[in-house]
Amino acid sequence: MKVEAIEYGDRKVFSVGAFNRGVASWLQRLPTVWVEGEVTELRRSERWASVFFTLKDPQDGSCLGVSMARGQFDALRLELADGDRVHAYGRPELFEARGEFRLRVLSLERFGLGEHLAALERLKAKLAAEGLFAAERKRPLPLLPARIGLVTGNDAAAKRDVLTAVTTRFPPANVLVAETYVQGPRAAGAVVEALRALCREGVDVVVVARGGGSFEDLLPFSDERLVRAIADCPVPVVSAVGHEQDTPLCDLAADVRASTPSVAGRLVVPDLAQLLERLDRSRAGLERGTRRSLERERRRLDGTHERLARAPRLLLERRRAKLEQSAGRLRTLSPKATLERGYAIVRAGEQIVRSGGAVQPGEHVDVELAEGGFGARVEETR
Amino acid sequence: MTFEEAQQELEQIVQRLESGEAPLDEALKLWERGEELYRFCKERLDTAEGKIEELASRAEAAKP
Repeated sequence: MKVEAIEYGDRKVFSVGAFNRGVASWLQRLPTVWVEGEVTELRRSERWASVFFTLKDPQDGSCLGVSMARGQFDALRLELADGDRVHAYGRPELFEARGEFRLRVLSLERFGLGEHLAALERLKAKLAAEGLFAAERKRPLPLLPARIGLVTGNDAAAKRDVLTAVTTRFPPANVLVAETYVQGPRAAGAVVEALRALCREGVDVVVVARGGGSFEDLLPFSDERLVRAIADCPVPVVSAVGHEQDTPLCDLAADVRASTPSVAGRLVVPDLAQLLERLDRSRAGLERGTRRSLERERRRLDGTHERLARAPRLLLERRRAKLEQSAGRLRTLSPKATLERGYAIVRAGEQIVRSGGAVQPGEHVDVELAEGGFGARVEETR
Repeated sequence: MTFEEAQQELEQIVQRLESGEAPLDEALKLWERGEELYRFCKERLDTAEGKIEELASRAEAAKP
């Protein structure tokens, strides 16, 4: 279409209508594409030729106006509700009368279970590749949390199960509960906000609990924002979402996965009775150990004392033994022992006679024997 | 010190004492420290009041 401009000197000026027509014709050259988003603000009237709705990006909230021929829309019988995910096939279009840009949709499909599953698998693979589910990221739960955060729906069951399990096991527990949406298009954002609010208030551990539900019901718990928020949470997170067989992605990102809300409750607190018993056992051990140490030292001291007392007597005995030994040696050296063997000592006067030449025949000598002795006269010398 | 740290240290002290390897001076010091840790842990359990609060009502109460 030819777009006429009015010329004012060297300035070309378009009327609004001409400008819109120009943009509209340029937009028509763009290709027809598929767009994915959540349906909101659906407006349909028997008086209108088209139905209108807004497609919303669940990740960043971007919006796109959509129009579709009413006959075509009705024929699809999609029965769309707010928050339903769709794939729309169309091309950009300008509503010239109002200068509004829209997506003119030619075909519309509900984003079905299969697509959801495939999208979930892709997201799972992407987050796993980033290491969000890695075992080394998992943090241990505190043994005795000063305060426990609980994110849960206002449906009583999950909340009651967690609280009952916590207070049964550990009556003095301190719990801060954040009730939030756990289903529908607002759930993911609301849970993320609840997590942050709890952490701002100061908690040592957070339990995210939601009872079982359909695959769609649990989808918010696989939302990328929520999964990332759980992985980035400054305190450990226990996830108890759905039933055992459901594995929403938040379970993989959490530090601990609990099969039910009750199990989650039992995991975040210690058993008070057991804890007290353990403490008392420690105290008994403390006393026993110290007493044992004291007794051992006392025994050692007693032993040392006894040895100290024995020391002088020991010395005396040792000396006596030595004396005995000396006496024995003295005895062996005395002439008495030699006399016993049959020898005799001969004396002339005071002198001991050692050779024949020392005496004269007829001289008197004294002979000493082992037993007694006798006097004798020398007969001859040799 | 957290409850866990206190409990862990207490149990290590008991182990050391029960092994009978600590000389008397050390044993007495360990015993004193152990008693202190025991009292700390016991107090943590005894003073916890046990309350369930709703975040929404807390936020409401915090408003001026």
